[in-house]
Amino acid sequence: MSDLSFTVDRGAAAGDRPHSGAVRIANLSKRFSLSGKTFTALDNINLDIRPGEFVSIVGPSGCGKSTLLRLITGLDTDYDGDIRLDERRVAGTGLERGLVFQDHRLFPWMTVAKNVEIALLNQNLPKERRDRLIRSHLELVGLIGFEDAYPHQLSGGMAQRAAIARALVNEPKVLALDEPLGALDALTRVKVQAELQRIWMEAGTTMIMVTHDVDEALFLGDRVVVMSPRPGRIARIVDVDLPHPRDRASSVLHRLKDEILAELTAEPADADDRLVPFPRKPRA
Amino acid sequence: MKRRAVNLALALLLPALLLALWQSQALKGGAHAYAFAPLGQIADSFATMIADGRLLLHALASLQRALTALLIGGTLGLIAGCTIGLWRPLEAGVTPVINALRQVPVLGWLPLIALWFGNGDGAKLILVSLATFYPMALNAQQGMHAVDRKLAEVGRLYGFSRWQALRLIGWPSALPLILTGVSQALAFAWIATIGVELLFSASAGLGTEMMAAQVAARTDVVIVCILCVALMGFALNQLFGLVRRRALRWQASR
Amino acid sequence: MPAETPSTPISSFSRLVRIATICAPMLALIGLWQALVSAQIWPEQVLVSPFRVASTLWDMAASGELTRHLGASLYRLVVGFLLGSAVGLVSGGAMGLSRIAFRIGAPLFHAVRQVPIIAFIPLLILFFDVEDSFKIVVVAAASFFPVALGTMDGIASIPKAHLEVAALYRLPLASLLWRVVLPATVPPIVTGLRLGLTRAWLSLVAAELLAADSGLGQMMEMGRQLFRIDVVMGGVIVAGVIGFLLDRSMIALERRLGRWRLA
Repeated sequence: MSDLSFTVDRGAAAGDRPHSGAVRIANLSKRFSLSGKTFTALDNINLDIRPGEFVSIVGPSGCGKSTLLRLITGLDTDYDGDIRLDERRVAGTGLERGLVFQDHRLFPWMTVAKNVEIALLNQNLPKERRDRLIRSHLELVGLIGFEDAYPHQLSGGMAQRAAIARALVNEPKVLALDEPLGALDALTRVKVQAELQRIWMEAGTTMIMVTHDVDEALFLGDRVVVMSPRPGRIARIVDVDLPHPRDRASSVLHRLKDEILAELTAEPADADDRLVPFPRKPRA
Repeated sequence: MKRRAVNLALALLLPALLLALWQSQALKGGAHAYAFAPLGQIADSFATMIADGRLLLHALASLQRALTALLIGGTLGLIAGCTIGLWRPLEAGVTPVINALRQVPVLGWLPLIALWFGNGDGAKLILVSLATFYPMALNAQQGMHAVDRKLAEVGRLYGFSRWQALRLIGWPSALPLILTGVSQALAFAWIATIGVELLFSASAGLGTEMMAAQVAARTDVVIVCILCVALMGFALNQLFGLVRRRALRWQASR
Repeated sequence: MPAETPSTPISSFSRLVRIATICAPMLALIGLWQALVSAQIWPEQVLVSPFRVASTLWDMAASGELTRHLGASLYRLVVGFLLGSAVGLVSGGAMGLSRIAFRIGAPLFHAVRQVPIIAFIPLLILFFDVEDSFKIVVVAAASFFPVALGTMDGIASIPKAHLEVAALYRLPLASLLWRVVLPATVPPIVTGLRLGLTRAWLSLVAAELLAADSGLGQMMEMGRQLFRIDVVMGGVIVAGVIGFLLDRSMIALERRLGRWRLA
């Protein structure tokens, strides 16, 4: 079923990791207290992500989607429940889980190449291999020729691509992306979306992307997780059963978009968990 | 092109007027010649002082004093500022003390320092170092707080050790403010050097020479020294500006 | 957070706490000072005890000597500051409002501004001799530059848009000044005044150390020549306190006017 989505050959880098990068989230809850009151950011999240899958997460503000990413990548370690990567419990940050932020967060005082290099700092690789990795990933994101540029000299799209290169250079099993294209203008965003799709197809890394943009979520994702706010819950998971690379004009995408928007703008009915899988085959 | 010429002419108008006034007063003779040295005499003194090497001698002496003090006071200030900035409890305790001591005009410490350390060059160095200490310490302290939390998170993602975080994130974040501290300290060092030499005329220095000239009623020499002080101060400022721009070339120039 | 008891108003309690946190390190410093004295690391002549300094200051205050010195210094400070500020306001105003005045005055202004005031002292002694007038001129010169600069900044910070709107609604002059010009210009001018006052006090002490027959600086210099460390230290403390009070009152003024501006 899902194998049909992978119509493109994965790159050699991913070839040796065909079955890793599975993320299993079970009964995940996150509560925190503020001035004596308890707030539930995430309530009983259950999600299984297959290796190499691209999962988009959409939802209104306050539904905890960013929190979810922070928990997966280990920036936040205080939660109830279970988060496992390839059956191993996640504890703190780790090089096998990468994160791309909405603001590129490149170090302003380092060149692009140096910024990518620092991701490899604690890997103890021989210099030659390190340089090769940096070069190949800059090539992957299309920034060859800008190795010695400083971040302030880059456009928003280029800086974000550099951030993606940095996140991918130590070949993580999972890459989390927190509204990576949110700070870009509409035209750049469309271009970088296509780039991101290409990069994912070549690298084969499991990707989990949070976004406000439903079009983007559908264009890139194998599945779209729709979340509802206060408390953060999964309202619905939508399968996008289309081959990659995607055609933006596809009618399937349009219909799915309408469904998801309807879900997002609907009045919250009751507090029960609603996990309604979308029917597999699109009606004619 | 024409506009620039006009601007230049206007800029020179006031100085030219003042110089003319000065010269007319100087030529009046008598009591006026005492205070207003004729422009020609000033130019002569300038040439003489360069020729016999006096100007260079005094200028270098002052420069050496200022830079040595900058090194001492600046280093101490850097260490103090970084330590205070990194350790909250210390910061809460020490900052009010530094601020209190800072209220005393720097040259006001001179009699005390003179009593404790004598009149020699050592005492002068201590005072000028004190003048450089404050701006360096305060800016270094601010620098320690300048780290962007978002960038620190990136460090956590890639497993930076404490030392790596300090070297790759903390220090570069602090550098702009630390360099501001150095530039302020440099300015203070120069001012304090001249001040200390004026008040304690011992060995060589532009301030010393100025005082001697004042006592001998040689206005021309005084003015030559003033010009030298001004030019060197300006040059030091500009030179450091170059250093700063090079060190911070990663900053977006706006 | 302090618990809210019905009888204690929050504001005065937190103010008390704030004062305490400021005073505590000072008291600790004085305590350290006394400890060093008691430890006899240095002889009594070198490091006098805080009590000795306090009692000397007390005696000097009682005999009127302190008042005389302080009075002389403050007199010069006030007169010089008023003089320098007035000239600074006018010059800064002229350069800010008139393009011609700016192009004539600004280059020389910025050139001379870079030179430390202290370098001019010998020259001023030659002109004005060693009496009150020379020190007043020093103070005036020290105050002049920051105030002029602040005035220019103030005028530059009147938002053009506001002036246009005012013209559009044909605002009467008084209203224009009150609602548009003053709120924009006053804060930078007050900042300039504060910096000018600080510079003025610094320069005055330096000038008095050099050549004076009265004043705080001269008091310290005399103390030095007579090897009276207690007098010198007393002078340092008084100089510091005055500097602090001057700064604080200007900051309070800035804040006051800032609130008025927002109102």
